[in-house]
Amino acid sequence: MPPQVTERAYQGRVHERSRALMSAWMDEVRRSEAEGQPTAALMISGNCVELLRACHVLPMFPEVTALQNAIRHKSLPLILKAEQAGYSSDNCAYVKADIGMFLDGGMGPGAPIPFPTLTVCNYVGCNVYVKWFEHLADVSGSRLFMLDVPFARTETPAEADVRYVVGQLRELITLCESVTGHRFDIDELRVILADAARAQEGYARCKHLTKHHPAPFDAYFDSINMMGPINVLRGTPEAARFFDEAVAEFESLAAQGLGPLSEERFRTVIEGPPPYPYYKSFRNLMSRWGAVAVQSTYSTVGGIWEFGFRHDPRRPLESIAEQMLYENLTNRSIVARYAQIRRYVEEWQADALIIHSIKSCRLFSAGQGDMREYFTRELGVPTLLVESDLEDPRYYAEAQIKNRIDAFFEALEHRKLVRDTAGRPA
Amino acid sequence: MTAEPILDACRALIAEPPGAVARAWKAAHPGGRAVAVYPVWAPAELIHAAGMLPLGLFGGGTSVELTHADARFQSFVCSIAKSSLELGFQGRLDGVDGLVFSNICDVARNLGSIYRRNFPGVFVEYLHLPQNSTSPGVIPYLAAELRRLADGFARVLGLPVGEAALAKSIETYDELRARLRALYALRIAEPQAVATTELYAVLRSATVAPPEESIARLDALLAALPRRGGRPRDRVRVVVEGAFCEQPPLGLLEVLEDAGCYVVEDDLVLGWRWFTGEVEAGGDPFERLARAYVDRAVPSSTRHEGRRHRADGLIEKVRRSRADAVIFLPAKFCEPALFDYVLMKQGLDRAGIPHLLVEFEEKMWTFERTRNEIETFVESMLFE
Amino acid sequence: MIYGAGVDVGSTQTKAVIVDGARAIVARVLIPTGANVSRAGERAFVEACGQAGLAREAVGAVIGTGYGRYKVTFGDTQITEITCHARGAHAVFPATRTVIDMGGQDTKAIKVAPDGSVVDFSMNDKCAAGTGRFLSAAADVTGVGLDEIGARALAARAPVRLTSVCTVFVESDIMSYLAQRKSVEDILGGVHKAIATRTMSLVRRVGVEPEITFTGGVSRNVGMVRALEEVLGAPLNVSADGHYMGALGAALFALERAQAAAPAPAAAAGG
Repeated sequence: MPPQVTERAYQGRVHERSRALMSAWMDEVRRSEAEGQPTAALMISGNCVELLRACHVLPMFPEVTALQNAIRHKSLPLILKAEQAGYSSDNCAYVKADIGMFLDGGMGPGAPIPFPTLTVCNYVGCNVYVKWFEHLADVSGSRLFMLDVPFARTETPAEADVRYVVGQLRELITLCESVTGHRFDIDELRVILADAARAQEGYARCKHLTKHHPAPFDAYFDSINMMGPINVLRGTPEAARFFDEAVAEFESLAAQGLGPLSEERFRTVIEGPPPYPYYKSFRNLMSRWGAVAVQSTYSTVGGIWEFGFRHDPRRPLESIAEQMLYENLTNRSIVARYAQIRRYVEEWQADALIIHSIKSCRLFSAGQGDMREYFTRELGVPTLLVESDLEDPRYYAEAQIKNRIDAFFEALEHRKLVRDTAGRPA
Repeated sequence: MTAEPILDACRALIAEPPGAVARAWKAAHPGGRAVAVYPVWAPAELIHAAGMLPLGLFGGGTSVELTHADARFQSFVCSIAKSSLELGFQGRLDGVDGLVFSNICDVARNLGSIYRRNFPGVFVEYLHLPQNSTSPGVIPYLAAELRRLADGFARVLGLPVGEAALAKSIETYDELRARLRALYALRIAEPQAVATTELYAVLRSATVAPPEESIARLDALLAALPRRGGRPRDRVRVVVEGAFCEQPPLGLLEVLEDAGCYVVEDDLVLGWRWFTGEVEAGGDPFERLARAYVDRAVPSSTRHEGRRHRADGLIEKVRRSRADAVIFLPAKFCEPALFDYVLMKQGLDRAGIPHLLVEFEEKMWTFERTRNEIETFVESMLFE
Repeated sequence: MIYGAGVDVGSTQTKAVIVDGARAIVARVLIPTGANVSRAGERAFVEACGQAGLAREAVGAVIGTGYGRYKVTFGDTQITEITCHARGAHAVFPATRTVIDMGGQDTKAIKVAPDGSVVDFSMNDKCAAGTGRFLSAAADVTGVGLDEIGARALAARAPVRLTSVCTVFVESDIMSYLAQRKSVEDILGGVHKAIATRTMSLVRRVGVEPEITFTGGVSRNVGMVRALEEVLGAPLNVSADGHYMGALGAALFALERAQAAAPAPAAAAGG
């Protein structure tokens, strides 16, 4: 039976600030058509948002719109519309929600979200990205630019890989120039990259603060608030300032020994995207056991900043290429992720690994049984696997998920009890 | 010679798991190595040029029970990924020295990593094939990637790939592909002369035998088949689209034709028929092979082609083969096929070409449901 | 004497077990759950008390388990049936290190520590494939009673291969085989084999470690026991109380809770 754990009333400045910044960005996107501001659709993973800003192109992120629709419980009707148009129940629900939004009149000329001017497919691991953006370009009539980033399959980035990516970045610059009529200035990119590096430093520092006992924030459920600024607004002075504030806020909480719950009974690492349609419910299922995530893999899809990599304004295009090639989760193999998670468990002193396996995303999910095998059998880390989806509410079976989470923490509580009893003097 | 004994030979060849084929070949070629390639396209020419036996790995079909792989991969993953891993766990790939995977989809990519982790004694390589079709950097990139694979063969398996050897292997595989194209052309012209199940046995056998042997077999077959004579029956001519990776069981192909169709074009075993014509002659063979992959590729769901709409290639196939309709036959859970289905279906609708969608799994023994759907479709076409 | 009760509220059946201070079962009840879940829990408990000749106040603690555990409102607390099945199986077969629980709704594989606690578990609860429901569907189509299908499966000479373990399709697949004149025995043999194979994957996730105990309603199916033993290559512990393992585990937890709460002399007497 779970002990009485409550959530500390805490929606700090980080949450408010992030909401305000992301809201302002969405407004810019909505106004772009009327204001004649060229936009580019882009994917979150390993993205080159700095380059687009340097080209005076406003980035828009179909993934962000999709997840927001899911959180607001608006995704299902859109998914159904896409399925009626021929998409399979086995296709990624993010894509269906996005195309469904278009079919529903939510995207397009005069609609709440305008068509993008350009569709820049940063193919960084996820093959679905390629299909998604082919379809988006098809329905919107926007020009599709493929930014093919070779998968991280050698120890260090191969010269041929870096050359290939840098070459495509230059082609992208030329394309943007023709669309905007603005001449690209590499020094402008350098300034943007310097701001980006500041934001990365701040985000990394925040992520290291969860090494405290208790962690000052939940590195899974609260990281979402920081993922917007780090992935979408990276390179802006506002994002850099945001992370300075976030560091200050979390340092203060850590100094006071405060965390998101009244008691931190278990420290977890969570792997996989969250069930956006049931975000709070999923969080509650863990919170009631006093479980706080001290690290997560999902928070690194756009970039793995906590191990030291930063964009380098002195080598602008090369460091952008390196980031896209090696310094984000999605372009690295599932087995490389095991090493990443292992570091998290060891260095952040976690008690357990929770794998949230989602049907839509095979990049994350296909083969997580092998991951589980590695952590339980070879490393002896208690591991729980639960299944649902990140966007489609139909796959979240609360009773079953609760059952698995409860059984898992019952066993961990028992282990804790045995350990504590053994530790008591005779 | 009639076609029968040749077809029987093909059927016998494809009944063996890749491990057994590799071991038999290596026994006959001491010091030899065998490398198997997962779908869709892989440079068999490179493997051959290193003096090794290239093999196609197409999963376990109906022959293997999933007792290990199901614990590693979820239920919403295609069967071929799981059965390929299962073959490894059950020792049926013992004898195969190397495996090559590529970025055809997210599942295949994860499979490659997981295979490598669980079988450290096997040389497992992963190729990143370009998903950009127009950048000037694509072909140099792919040429370098192919060289990287060749370097791996040299470093780990001790077998280098010389440029002259590669040029020769490209010629050999060009000849094989020319015969396969001729076989397909025969089926378009005279579908009654070769059943799709027969064509399939030949096609598949070419993925488990040295190309020289396959070429000889095909030459004999191409001479024998037209002698069968006969006239085409009143059947609906269809293009089958979607079976480019996980392969349908023979029983399903049989049911397709029994239900009233002639399959006149398909994407079965597509990777081994990837080039639309001969590889360009002259110059660096790695570069020529790379160029052919990008510029002389058949339309497929695993390579982004930015220069034309996905449906155009399919419509062209329909016209060229004088087909009446398209049967989309994707494997269950196959993401590339299920995504492309939407764009292709829209294109077919615009062009007024009838189509049907039927999913399959490699592990099927009863086909009643599928037969019903195809028969209904055929009837609707005949009574139009 | 101190007593503990466990009430296991499943989606189709509700079980109640009462154990005494010596950990012996003094009552066991099984009733259909029906539409009113809390009433089912209450009824089962009351019937069990009647069977044991106890007033309900005499039961020191009650623990609810199963999917409907939160509806056991008269209970002291709730524990998942995973934890309870491990406990119950371990109590009956102390050398249990792996539990395979096959109920009507789901199948579980549980890795058990020497003290009966859960080390790891894996569940198939999203899909009816490879669960008791698949057997029910097969029973319906072949017209053989659920209590007979196991025995009939044992008589199979050439078990058929099933296209998939999807419950939605099992009907048409079986009808296909019947049309091909396959015997009911061979068809049922194939059904059991398919479920066993599917279950193997689940068990492999937690690791197969003897002794292996088979619990749940389906553990009474002799065909399933044999099919699993064949696929596992190891014998299974099966108890006549297989249905009651979850409720038994919960009752044992309840007993401990009651003993811990009791004043010292009574606890000593209860042993």
